[in-house]
Amino acid sequence: MTQPGDADARGREPRRTGPRDFTETTERRVRATIRDALAEAGGEERPRAEDPGPAEGAVIELERVHLGFGDRVILEDVSFLARRGETIAVVGESGTGKSTTLKLLLRHLQPDSGRVYIDGEDIAALSFTEALRVRRRMGMVFQQAALFDSLTVFDNVAYPLREHTDYGDDEIEARVREKLAFVDLDPDRVMDQLPSELSGGMRKRVGVARAIANDPEIMLYDEPTSGLDPLTTGTITRLIMKLQRELQVTSVVVSHDIRSVFRMASYVAVLADRRIRFFGTPEEMAASDDRYIQDFLGGF
Amino acid sequence: MTALAARLNAAAQGTVLGVQNYVRLAWNALRFVFARPFYAGDLVQQMDAMGVQSLGIVLLTGFFTGMVLALQSSVQLRTFGATQYIGSLVSASIIRELGPVLAGLMVAGRVGSGVAAQIGSMKVTEQIDALNTLGTDPIKKLVTPRVLAGLIMLPVLTVLADLVGILGGNVIARVYVGLPSSFYWRTVWEQIAGGGFSFGFIPNDFIQGLIKPFVFGGIIATTACYHGLATTGGTEGVGVATTRTVVAASIAILVSDYFLTQLLLSVLGA
Repeated sequence: MTQPGDADARGREPRRTGPRDFTETTERRVRATIRDALAEAGGEERPRAEDPGPAEGAVIELERVHLGFGDRVILEDVSFLARRGETIAVVGESGTGKSTTLKLLLRHLQPDSGRVYIDGEDIAALSFTEALRVRRRMGMVFQQAALFDSLTVFDNVAYPLREHTDYGDDEIEARVREKLAFVDLDPDRVMDQLPSELSGGMRKRVGVARAIANDPEIMLYDEPTSGLDPLTTGTITRLIMKLQRELQVTSVVVSHDIRSVFRMASYVAVLADRRIRFFGTPEEMAASDDRYIQDFLGGF
Repeated sequence: MTALAARLNAAAQGTVLGVQNYVRLAWNALRFVFARPFYAGDLVQQMDAMGVQSLGIVLLTGFFTGMVLALQSSVQLRTFGATQYIGSLVSASIIRELGPVLAGLMVAGRVGSGVAAQIGSMKVTEQIDALNTLGTDPIKKLVTPRVLAGLIMLPVLTVLADLVGILGGNVIARVYVGLPSSFYWRTVWEQIAGGGFSFGFIPNDFIQGLIKPFVFGGIIATTACYHGLATTGGTEGVGVATTRTVVAASIAILVSDYFLTQLLLSVLGA
């Protein structure tokens, strides 16, 4: 799942060794912030290495994010990051704010405090147009696929191409065919169908094809396998792994489905009680002696 | 007492916030008319859905309203022996008031509900989020073409409804009252010309009759889009959004009609 070379590189990074204790990380970051404040007060430039800002090499990073709606706190001090090609699975009980993390990454929501970095860019600081530019590099697969139901499968997949590229009709068609073939759909059979004529699994695959039409560097999946039968679940999981392998995309997968999470995730983040309860590799998760984690894994 | 005050305060804040969001949406929708990219295809599609496909009910409404107006007024006018004024009465009422208001109400019911339901279901099935994610501004893509279509098509529909309504009056005047058609149309024209002209050639009645549907078209489209985009709570929410749109748009049409009339009468002169 993860290449040994990667593991070594990560091994040198203290945040990446062993099951992460997030209070430790938090403490480190608070210390860094204090140091920075002191350095700033002294008129010095902030030393980059101590900056709790974007982590080196992180494609996606949530840094101490707090988010609430009114009196309800959804996320509290949530931090995690993903480097190029990694897949982070965010798991947790329903209503723990898993999908919210995706909305934060897309800037559909803004954190009350803390930062969200995409490729080292603080996306809260971007203007609306700049945020759209960042979003174009991201592909999102929605829980219910969210295909435009007034458009055919072809038009759905072609949508991002027509919207953001100058491709001619031939090139768009070639690309749509390529993407549909990538998700194991027969272009000639499905292209002219409407989303309502497709099965749930096919809709989801069209959703993936649309998400990858613009060759995004980052893929976000909201419950990609929920509501699908075991066979289709397997197909979608393999598809996500294929994307990781062949296109080297960085992914965040929000899911309940522990089995597929274990197959595809480089790291698993367990959200519980508004915080990240655990962050580590699937193997570390399986070996965790945290009672909650073990309960969460159930009989798996 | 304080609890009541707090609740009133919360309700007032909610209302103000709603109005603020509505105004912001309407402003953005209009602002985007002049910004790239233009969704010409969507505009044509919406003009078709709002205009061409509403033609049937709007013409039917216009025709029967014209007929019933002629019928009722013929009874009244006969007591004064003034049935020759049917044409003036029908045309004045239809061009100034009934054409715009009835076309507005019919379109609010037919198109407003449809737009709210469509955008509402797009909202609850995450299609709006998908648009955002694919780098498209949903207001530009969905709201602007609909508002523009409303602004363009409702005046067109109203003119046709007016014409068919006056024609309906003609049918009754001729068949029921026995008034010759040429005479009927002459009284219609005299009525229109009698209202005076702006810029020397546009009858004031037409100005009244066209500014109103222009405003109503904007009201219908923005109200429907606003309620559609504010939809929460699944399919039930879509139903709520639809109902709210029709109620709000209809009330807004009737209320603004009064104030528009007063404004236009004071500007153009009664």
